[in-house]
Amino acid sequence: MAHGPSKALLAELASRPGRDTFVSTLIKGMFIALSLLFLAALLFAPLITVFATALSKGFEMYVESFADPDTLAAIRLTLITAAIVVPVNTVFGIAAAWAIAKFEFKGKSILITLIDLPIAVSPVISGLIYVLLFGMQGWFGLWLQEHDISIIFALPGIVLATMFVTFPYVARELIPLMQQLGNDEEEAAITLGAGGLMTFFHVTLPKIRWGLVYGVILCNARAMGEFGAVSVVSGHIRGLTTTMPLHVEILYNEYNFVGAFAVASLLTLLAVVTLIIKSLVEWRTGYSKR
Amino acid sequence: MSITLDQVTKRYQGSPVVNDVSVEVGEGEFFVLLGPSGSGKSTLLRAIAGLTGVDHGRIALHGRDVTHVSARQRGVGLVFQNYALFRHMSVGDNIEFALRVRHMKAADRRARRKELLRLVALEGMDDRLPTQLSGGQQQRVAVARALAHKPQVLLLDEPFGALDAKIREELRRTIRQVQRELNITTVLVTHDQEEAFAMADRIGVMNLGRLLECGRPDELYARPATRFVATFLGAANLLLARQTANGIRFGATPVNARALEKIDSGREHEVVAVLRPEEVELAPTRDNLRVSYLGHGVIDEMVFTGAFERLRVRLADGAADAQIARPGGDGDGAAVLDVTRTQHEQRVFPLAVGQSVAMGVRRIHVLPTPLSSYTAVAADQPAADALVKNPLLVELANRMKTRIVARVEPGLANPSSGRPATPISGVAVIAPHQDAGAQTGRDVIAQIEWLLHNGAAEVLVLPDQLVPPQRVLIHWADDAARRATLAVAASLLRHVPAEAVYVGILPESAGETQRPAGMRTLLDARSEAQAVHGLEMRTELRFGAAADELHRQLSESPEQMLILGISALADLRARFAALFASSPGYPMMIVHRPASPTNP
Repeated sequence: MAHGPSKALLAELASRPGRDTFVSTLIKGMFIALSLLFLAALLFAPLITVFATALSKGFEMYVESFADPDTLAAIRLTLITAAIVVPVNTVFGIAAAWAIAKFEFKGKSILITLIDLPIAVSPVISGLIYVLLFGMQGWFGLWLQEHDISIIFALPGIVLATMFVTFPYVARELIPLMQQLGNDEEEAAITLGAGGLMTFFHVTLPKIRWGLVYGVILCNARAMGEFGAVSVVSGHIRGLTTTMPLHVEILYNEYNFVGAFAVASLLTLLAVVTLIIKSLVEWRTGYSKR
Repeated sequence: MSITLDQVTKRYQGSPVVNDVSVEVGEGEFFVLLGPSGSGKSTLLRAIAGLTGVDHGRIALHGRDVTHVSARQRGVGLVFQNYALFRHMSVGDNIEFALRVRHMKAADRRARRKELLRLVALEGMDDRLPTQLSGGQQQRVAVARALAHKPQVLLLDEPFGALDAKIREELRRTIRQVQRELNITTVLVTHDQEEAFAMADRIGVMNLGRLLECGRPDELYARPATRFVATFLGAANLLLARQTANGIRFGATPVNARALEKIDSGREHEVVAVLRPEEVELAPTRDNLRVSYLGHGVIDEMVFTGAFERLRVRLADGAADAQIARPGGDGDGAAVLDVTRTQHEQRVFPLAVGQSVAMGVRRIHVLPTPLSSYTAVAADQPAADALVKNPLLVELANRMKTRIVARVEPGLANPSSGRPATPISGVAVIAPHQDAGAQTGRDVIAQIEWLLHNGAAEVLVLPDQLVPPQRVLIHWADDAARRATLAVAASLLRHVPAEAVYVGILPESAGETQRPAGMRTLLDARSEAQAVHGLEMRTELRFGAAADELHRQLSESPEQMLILGISALADLRARFAALFASSPGYPMMIVHRPASPTNP
């Protein structure tokens, strides 16, 4: 016989992972089962509970709980906060990533560390910082009071605290991406006669757009869901300074389970939608790389 | 001139990456910057494009000074090694980018795009995305994009680096065709000498930030001026030879190869000879050779490479100890020559490893460098051994890819020992130990005189414990020594990243009338250094006794060196004794060329 083994057989042999395939299959199965168990206990069960409790008194009650003006105010406040925080952090993230990826300067590593700081610090501390700065007894407290400016227990404080907690997300997403993509396309654009703005909008932005979208989604999710830092600076004034997560807590403490879980379900839905968009973006970036 | 670079220097963290580069590229010329990685060639290209600023010097495009013009305004076309296409734009949009920047009408843009795609043989690919193209096609698009705005100059930065051999060849041809068709001035950067030969009208070879030599490919290959160019452009065997009145001599073997350029004076002296592997002929016996006999050798290694056979032949006699530096680096004595033979030669005279052959050479090129090798001379063996290990000497020899030979000459310390058996060859190196001289009653000047009387033309006086010089002072006693001193300085400074300063010294008594003459000498020296040797040199005019003035400057700070040219031996003692009065702490290179009627 002049023929050797078939190509398909050779490929199959080469693709076998280890020597003892039975044991490796067993281990693989165990790991998957373990992860699913964890997910079921810690994720799926609470998720189902949220919706089950929210709908426990029927769909009408569920819908009715959104008619509460305080709930509506909380939703409005959350949206306003996100609408301010996300664009500002996007601009900051792009600027920081640009500086770090494109230039060499002293203190670059310190800047990178500082960007990571909010992730390392407990959100409660982040909130407290602003209380210490702008609160009645804080550094600028007196001055602010004299000029009738309220930051703590008002929208500006909530925005500041949220901004602090969420600013790493866009930058952290963009820094490795921009470092990896390099500078050549921008330099090519400049030699072709393009100015700074044209280069940014026609070359850089399209290049990083999916990474940017990804960062913005994460930033938005965190901005809407932030509890700790906002809780410290908001003062929990019903209908005025409660965001959705805070409102859930208030309703819960009043034993209004349907109301609390209805708002919670809204936040959960937001998280699920975010995850879906995130997966779509991942799928899209994976596609464009091919 | 299309591109004019004038003393362009770029420093990174203090050290120059591009060092005093001056070159002119003509209209429609294809100029290739060739050099190993880290030689500064890409930085120079980026400086021409305006992407990198320069610290010193001037860049002009078509006579317009663009040194301080931004990359955006320079209007050059630049092609990158990894294409740098806009990945989210179609091929057509990529090409039209520069036209859209210039607000050209859509119809005109389409016409130009079509024309460019035809030029790079990519018709009909308009709507593809870069990722859907092969590497070679992407680079074609990059070339078309760089040409869209009709740039005055096309710059290519290793454009074939990421492509495989077949596609590379094809793309080379395309780019050369496009370049000819548009007659656009082009600068290409590469580390591949084959690529440089294939494409260039003119090649500029760079190393350590300096532009060493420029010239037509065939000229550079046949007549390199520096060791680096000789070995970087193709393979070369470098041998030390002695040039005599009747031709070149390797050891005891006189060689009368054809095409021997006459250099320097008729005086016998050591030179560096370049033997290309293909110029060496092998034959069974000396009588079978059709060219000048070089010596006998034994085949060490044979490699079949298709069209050619590559051999390494160990010399058994003749030029056996002539090798300047072995490519393999193994220490034992005999020279090993690289030889290539064509298929035809292989059939006429088949060879086997270990076989003994007679070697001849068709053509020898002699490098014009005056610094061939170093001979460390001392009166006794320990002193000679110590001198050979001098860190600065080792560093210099390494950088110049040359060798150091130790010689014990009792005559150096004791005049009654008589003359050496063979003349001193290469640059003689001595240590300025006053104590050694005190024992025997001979001072450093007498030692230098003795060396210069016995074959040496340059003497390097080297104190212990030295760092490479940062500043090299150049001075000559009278005009007869100027040419040789400049040549030595240029040769040395090609290997040492130091600043060169010519110090012109007028006597204290010199009146106002002599000043203009002094200034003129200075400027003449500077322009000669620039024109003949490509050496950028600063100049200083001083007043006083030459030796005192030089000694004062050299003692001011460490890391300095002196190159002193003289034509009359007596001058050393009569005019420069002050330099040797105390044990000098700086290296000194004494260049001696007697004034002759034929060489004014």
